[in-house]
Amino acid sequence: MKQTYDEEADVRTTIAIRVMALFFVGIMIIAATTSPIATGTKEGERAPALEGKFYNGSQWADFDLESYWDSSWEEGDMSGQWVVVEFMDTDCPYCIQSAEEMGQYADYFGNSNSEWNGALVNFIASATQLDIQGHDTSRSEIISFRNKIADSGDDCGSSDCGSRPGAAHNFPYIDDIDQDNMKKWKVGGTPSYYLIQPDGIIAWSSAEHQGEEVVDAIFALVPSAQSEGA
Amino acid sequence: MDSNVQLMLYLLPTLAGLLLILPFGRSLSGPFESIFPSLKSARGRVFSGLILTCVAGMAVSFQTLWITSKLSEGGNFCASNTVLSCDDVLGNIDYNTVPYLEISWGGLGAAVFAILLYLAYSSFKEPNASWVSMNLRLGTLLTFGGFFVIALLIYYEIKMGKICQYCSTAHLANIAAFIGFFRLMKMNETKDWDDIWAQVDK
Repeated sequence: MKQTYDEEADVRTTIAIRVMALFFVGIMIIAATTSPIATGTKEGERAPALEGKFYNGSQWADFDLESYWDSSWEEGDMSGQWVVVEFMDTDCPYCIQSAEEMGQYADYFGNSNSEWNGALVNFIASATQLDIQGHDTSRSEIISFRNKIADSGDDCGSSDCGSRPGAAHNFPYIDDIDQDNMKKWKVGGTPSYYLIQPDGIIAWSSAEHQGEEVVDAIFALVPSAQSEGA
Repeated sequence: MDSNVQLMLYLLPTLAGLLLILPFGRSLSGPFESIFPSLKSARGRVFSGLILTCVAGMAVSFQTLWITSKLSEGGNFCASNTVLSCDDVLGNIDYNTVPYLEISWGGLGAAVFAILLYLAYSSFKEPNASWVSMNLRLGTLLTFGGFFVIALLIYYEIKMGKICQYCSTAHLANIAAFIGFFRLMKMNETKDWDDIWAQVDK
């Protein structure tokens, strides 16, 4: 006997196909018209927010990393500002050792150096307090470290902050004593460095290039007159 | 096109759907009953309003997903210094994805509204099928669950001090869909469900 009821003709199948088609058309339109970039701290990702109070040499003020970004920047454009972010702890021996180099790099790649004919590279330090015994820090200690103030009563490591190598720094130091920024950036240890393009995309991360110096990354990635001419 | 004008493309169908769903929907549907006879019955009106709401909800969810993607590229869409600034809400990476799933709220909304649309539209096409009451219960349950998501997202907006008007339109669509599914579920429990012409003058 011929069966007159056809389960395949159930309206649910037809409607499911129609709704799924509508859904996939929506997804395809988004895929065709956008190129989303994930936010994270790996190379090629958009740098997460870095917020808090920063010491600018005279006072603590609000800091917002996003204010540095230029979404219209294109690769090779020398007018954009690059950013190096250093996650550090004023009591971390490696951070104290590298303070001299950081100061020199900030001066060399900054605005005022005529020897460097490349794009401006801004240096920013995010000073945290690691969960290690003896790593107690404070805003006063951050200022003493940055400005290399002798006999301030603040100890960086086990020595007076004024005795750290190098000269006083001119770049901003962000108060990240509560580790908010460090956790957001998933920083494993200090010092950690990130070189960020003017459009906010991470170009280089020390975590992904063990043994490589941040200065090598700057010379390799930041456009300059030499690299343009080469 | 201004982002707030564009929002009207989603807000107006959502409001129209909500009005059809509500008991006084007849006053709105009157002029259209000759073109769409299904609007003559309460069941038809609620189904029509519900389908309209689900389509608008899905569309506005896709729009928020699109805005989130554009913002990740470094662009902007509806940035504003006022409290109404969807860029600030959708661009905030601390709050713009579903916890643990890491997918955009817009993506989740589009998927949920697609399911609601399927439940409503299939029930509308075959209202006397045995699975319709299950569809309506599922729809009611899903949209009721949406209230918790809305509460969480409003909490985020309060924390940020900003309101995402596109997200709010999707929230409104969920509320309207809940009312629609709930009313249909109740109607489905009465004998009037099958006799739609008996409802015409109700």
